[in-house]
Amino acid sequence: MPVSASAIYFLNLRGDVLINRLYRDDVGGNMVDAFRLHIMQTKELGSCPVRQIGGCSFLYMRISNVYIVIVVSTNANVASAFKFVVEAVALFKSYFGGAFDEDAIRNNFVLIYELLDEIMDFGYPQNLSPEMLKLYITQQGVRSPFSSKPKEKIVPNATLQVTGAVGWRREGLVYKKNEVFLDIVESVNLLMSSKGSVLSCDVTGKILMKCFLSGMPDLKLGLNDKIGLEKESQLKSRPAKSGKTIELDDVTFHQCVNLTRFNTEKTVSFVPPDGEFELMKYRITEGVNLPFRVLPTIKELGQARVEVNVKVKSAFGAKMFALGVVIKIPVPKQTAKTSFQVTSGRVKYNAAINCLVWKIRKFPGQTEPTLSAEVELISTISEKKSWTRPPIQMEFQVPMFTASGLRVRFLKVWEKSGYNTVEWVRYITKAGSYEIRC
Amino acid sequence: MALSGMRGLSVFISDIRNCPNKEQERLRVDKELGHIRTRFKNEKGLTPYEKKKYVWKMLYIYMLGYDVDFGHMEAVSLISAPKYPEKQVGYIVTSSLLNENHDFLRLAINTVRNDIIGRNETFQCLALTLVGNIGGREFAESLAPDVQKLLLSSSCRPLVRKKAALCLLRLFRKNPDVVNVDGWSDRMAQLLDERDLGVLTSSMSLFVALVSKDYDSYWSCLPKCVKVLERLARNQDIPQEYTYYGIPSPWLQVKTMRALQYFPTVEDPNTRRSLFEVLQRVLMGTDVVKNVNKNNASHAVLFEALALVMHLDAEKEMMSQCVALLGKFIAVREPNIRYLGLENMTRMLMVTDVQDIIKRHQAQIITSLKDPDISIRRRALDLLYGMCDVSNAKDIVEELLQYLATADFAMREELSLKAAILAEKFAPDLSWYVDVILQLIDKAGDFVSDDIWFRVVQFVTNNEDLQPYAALKAREYLDKPAIHETMVKVSAYLLGEYSHLLARRPGCSPKEIFSMIHDKLPTVSTPTIPILLSTYAKILMHSQPPDPELQNQIWAVFSKYESCIDVEIQQRAAEYIALSRKGAALVDILAEMPKFPERKSSLIKKAEDTEADTAEQSAIKLRAQQQTSNALTVTDQPIGNGVPPEAQLGPVKMPSMSNEGHSTADQVLTRSNGSATNLQASTPSPDLLGDLLSPLAIEGPPAPASVESERNPVSGTPTAADALALAPIGGQTNTIQPIGNIAERFQALCLKDSGVLYEDPYVQIGIKAEWRSHQGRLVIFLGNKNTAPLVSVQALILAPSHLKLELSEVPQTIPPRAQVQCPLEVVNLRPSRDVAVLEFSYKFGTDMVNVKLRLPAVLNKFLQPIPVSAEEFFPQWRSLSGPPLKLQEVVRGVKPMLLMEMANLLNSFRLMVCPGLDPNTNNLVASTTYYSESTRAMLCLVRIETDPADRTQLRMTVASGDPALTYELKEFIKEQLISIPLASHAPQPLPQQAPPSNPPIAQSDPGAMLAALL
Repeated sequence: MPVSASAIYFLNLRGDVLINRLYRDDVGGNMVDAFRLHIMQTKELGSCPVRQIGGCSFLYMRISNVYIVIVVSTNANVASAFKFVVEAVALFKSYFGGAFDEDAIRNNFVLIYELLDEIMDFGYPQNLSPEMLKLYITQQGVRSPFSSKPKEKIVPNATLQVTGAVGWRREGLVYKKNEVFLDIVESVNLLMSSKGSVLSCDVTGKILMKCFLSGMPDLKLGLNDKIGLEKESQLKSRPAKSGKTIELDDVTFHQCVNLTRFNTEKTVSFVPPDGEFELMKYRITEGVNLPFRVLPTIKELGQARVEVNVKVKSAFGAKMFALGVVIKIPVPKQTAKTSFQVTSGRVKYNAAINCLVWKIRKFPGQTEPTLSAEVELISTISEKKSWTRPPIQMEFQVPMFTASGLRVRFLKVWEKSGYNTVEWVRYITKAGSYEIRC
Repeated sequence: MALSGMRGLSVFISDIRNCPNKEQERLRVDKELGHIRTRFKNEKGLTPYEKKKYVWKMLYIYMLGYDVDFGHMEAVSLISAPKYPEKQVGYIVTSSLLNENHDFLRLAINTVRNDIIGRNETFQCLALTLVGNIGGREFAESLAPDVQKLLLSSSCRPLVRKKAALCLLRLFRKNPDVVNVDGWSDRMAQLLDERDLGVLTSSMSLFVALVSKDYDSYWSCLPKCVKVLERLARNQDIPQEYTYYGIPSPWLQVKTMRALQYFPTVEDPNTRRSLFEVLQRVLMGTDVVKNVNKNNASHAVLFEALALVMHLDAEKEMMSQCVALLGKFIAVREPNIRYLGLENMTRMLMVTDVQDIIKRHQAQIITSLKDPDISIRRRALDLLYGMCDVSNAKDIVEELLQYLATADFAMREELSLKAAILAEKFAPDLSWYVDVILQLIDKAGDFVSDDIWFRVVQFVTNNEDLQPYAALKAREYLDKPAIHETMVKVSAYLLGEYSHLLARRPGCSPKEIFSMIHDKLPTVSTPTIPILLSTYAKILMHSQPPDPELQNQIWAVFSKYESCIDVEIQQRAAEYIALSRKGAALVDILAEMPKFPERKSSLIKKAEDTEADTAEQSAIKLRAQQQTSNALTVTDQPIGNGVPPEAQLGPVKMPSMSNEGHSTADQVLTRSNGSATNLQASTPSPDLLGDLLSPLAIEGPPAPASVESERNPVSGTPTAADALALAPIGGQTNTIQPIGNIAERFQALCLKDSGVLYEDPYVQIGIKAEWRSHQGRLVIFLGNKNTAPLVSVQALILAPSHLKLELSEVPQTIPPRAQVQCPLEVVNLRPSRDVAVLEFSYKFGTDMVNVKLRLPAVLNKFLQPIPVSAEEFFPQWRSLSGPPLKLQEVVRGVKPMLLMEMANLLNSFRLMVCPGLDPNTNNLVASTTYYSESTRAMLCLVRIETDPADRTQLRMTVASGDPALTYELKEFIKEQLISIPLASHAPQPLPQQAPPSNPPIAQSDPGAMLAALL
């Protein structure tokens, strides 16, 4: 079942309509008022992305300071609708050449209307690939001066392209320097009890590629995952190399990956689209290397004082370091005064989120900085509800480290002309929802 | 403004205002709250300026809707600051952030008091405003005397006294028991002499509150009020700033007139005269003008004056003036004014003597019935209904009928009911009445309740002159192609009964009538089919000489329905087919329905009920008392034969017959009519069925019993179709009657532990009981009074779920002149008012007797009186606060009795009255212990507050540690208070809560009923 969206609205945070497009006339034009009144102006905003009001479903998503709302009046495929929104935003970004926000929308009305006409027809999603659309929607977005220079001439036979066997890649591309960039980006989700036992943990990763290759190259990627390695060892009839093999769950590939070859030969081989794309996504639930361990002790001393001690241990190699580490330690709402000591980084009390925010810009591996703080509370007249102790949250980025242990074993490029290529591989691990109960 | 100096505050406010969305606003507020917390916690303390600033910020945040749960200490402490700006913020924040239950307020009481008794009048005003806004009990206790002093002080400026009056008013409204107003009549009189209108207006509000509680002490103020009115309305002696669109202080006028309405009357002739002069002036001086505000003000005064005029029962002349004025109002185009005019005219109907004057406006009111605004239409309908009498009934009812066709669906039911009632009440002749109702059914069939057509049937049955006419009319309506089902029912019934009277007319032969009715059969629903079947049977009976073709047709119908899935229809069809084969005997069996006894129309009763609900001013009720309904009495037909007075028949329930024996020839169950045996009857059957059915049992001619039961015991609840039952064969009325009143005996046994439960010529049942906490032992004595043995003796206990009952075996036969003892063990599991029933049957000779007797194992038997001292009582009473542990109810319709009698009654129910606990001598406080297996021993406390002025109502509060017990005990006492004096005929229905397993013997006692009838 496709989306069958009746209308799509772009609203700013106040609820004003920036731009909208009605695809079907089965919803009234004032449905967006219902959205504004019943969703945006209530506390439920953000709690549930799908709401039903008066026989219509509102599927909404906030992207920077814009709400994108899809109104459907039938029983629609919600996942497909959200995928559509995400893809549409990616498309807009590639046209605008930068951020997608209220100002960008205001500056690109005509372009957006043209795109909205193209990417959805009578409520059914159509081709959303920027490469393709750029062939025939020649409107230029208003670019910021820093974005890359405008593309060269457009190949005229767009139809052929769209319907051809390799719909995602133009022929006749020529680069002076043939380069491939491959990034493995992982985000770690963790929920840990205060005693240090892992309650739930998984890693979602994706492989992003950027190709600047001439002609029609064929690429082949080898990872240290289980299936690939087993296959290889079978083929070469020799035992797998020692070292960890990674079991990937829920692998999804970009459409350019040749699935028949993946099914038969268990190799990831593909003809890449030009420019940036997401090659594959995966998930890992077992054997995760946690980059950080947090050991909190938070003691409530009577009604008026809380004592906080937090120790953070970095578990990755001593040569590596994490960047932009932020640890948010919750404190009671009625916090009046705080005093603290840390071994590294800086701490601030943020009343707006009721947290002590501890920032460490550069966090080397195999170290354990500590924070000890004393919080004084003000007395209140409301009933003595015990403090709910929300979890400690953590943000970080660890370059050249993968929580899953995934590594690129090889990336082969084969092209008729046989030119030399340069391959660049990067790894980065980020925090997803990294929470430690205290 | 005090804010001007505070930069931080204005920056904060502008920050908030500049927030683009709610989320950022919340972030900003949380940040600010964090800041304020830090500052308040600062050891160094705050300068008064800072404190003021942060408290203002707190207030602003609070006003934006965020929780502020700290900093109250700072706010309260600002109250005692010496400077105005700080004091002001302290007062404002305290009164908005705290409510009367906060402990922090205690800290403030002393400071507030100092301000009140101080010299600075701005501070006094601030303090009075705070007290008035919060108005808690503690404030009232400690500050009321000071506020009173301030109000009376001559040295204060009017500004302060005004506020003091309002503050006192609020304290008095909130805690009337704390504010001491004894001896205030003199002071009030003094206050009402006040020259300053501001103070006077506030004092008048206070006065209204005081007289609403107790007008007796304030008689001396009455002339002063009249003086105030004179001053305002006649002399117009007020400063310019108190006139509103040229009207001298309308608020004060309205309040004064409202206050006057709390006094029952104005006795002093001088005062009365001057009051009427003022009222006259108000009535004369009010007119409809262009300006809306002026209209509102002057009309407010006018309507209050009207209310006062009505209250005082003014002379006719003045009344007619009022009506004339209202007549002008209802002719106005503006809907609000018209609405008010109509509403007040309806209210005027309460007052006698003005109807004739109101009638002059009838045409105008009828026009209002067509108003686009539904609320005006409703008012017009109410008014028309209220003003209708014999002289204008015809016009009004016809108007209503016409209107019915176009009326809103929401109104139609009410409209049709009202039209039916008016037609019945004021019918000039009965054929007109029949016309009207048939038209009504024709036009609004869906909205005509069954009562309406039952009533028509009653009328027609009781008036022979009317019968041919009604039959003819019914035939005419049946001719129409599409008619409502109700119309089918009523026409079929009428034609079945009376079509033979038309036989000579063209097109009215039995055959034609039959085919006409039979055409409708496929279109009607199941409940109507039995009526049609009865009609066919009657037509068949009336077709003399028998027409074989018709007979065959009708038999075909009957035999078709003999296998109908609906039991009622099936049974009727089967019986009719059997009956119709009897030949000549048919005429006797299917004789014409006997006349109905005259009784109050259930329609009128229904209308009165709905009126009581709407609290509509009871104009109609009043008038109903004045003019006795001329329904039914307009006919000079003798009604019924030996019809008992209606009071005794009214509540008689429909007797339902047990017909298991109808196929067996020997008729064992001759007592089938005895409603004492009748459990089904306890489901309250609608009174309308009583209307139609109750006489059947008495007047039906005796006939072969084998075919008697046209009513179906399986269907349990009587259906409307029963109304059409043939004149029945009531069977012999029972020969065995109980001696004495069963209900009375039961009542007596509820109080005593031994006595006679039941007695008839053959048997006597006695009871002896012993009770110990939640257990009891009853011994039932079954005594045979005769010289012949009683056989087939059976005693069955139907126990309610809360009692565990074990009856030892009862012998099958009781020898002559012997007594048998059957011990019965009782265990009370949990509180309930349900009553156990003893089903007792025996056979004496050929008579089978079956009675159901309530056993006196009632709630109060498990009570143990216990005296309670004041020290024990009050903590208990307080700890059981609020429902469901403590329940309060105002009981109305109590049998009036002296306090002593009531105390005795309670004591007899084992509720120990503890004298002296309640300071009010009109109240009773009682205590007892209740025992059951689930609650064990449970202390119960009861407080009854009586009104010496009105003994028929009282307020009752019951408290115990168990919600179920509290409820049951409350209901039990209520039942007892309402129903104790059961008259010998016991027409009074038991309280509705009586459980279904508890047959209301009192009302269906066959002995009592028969005694009344025969």
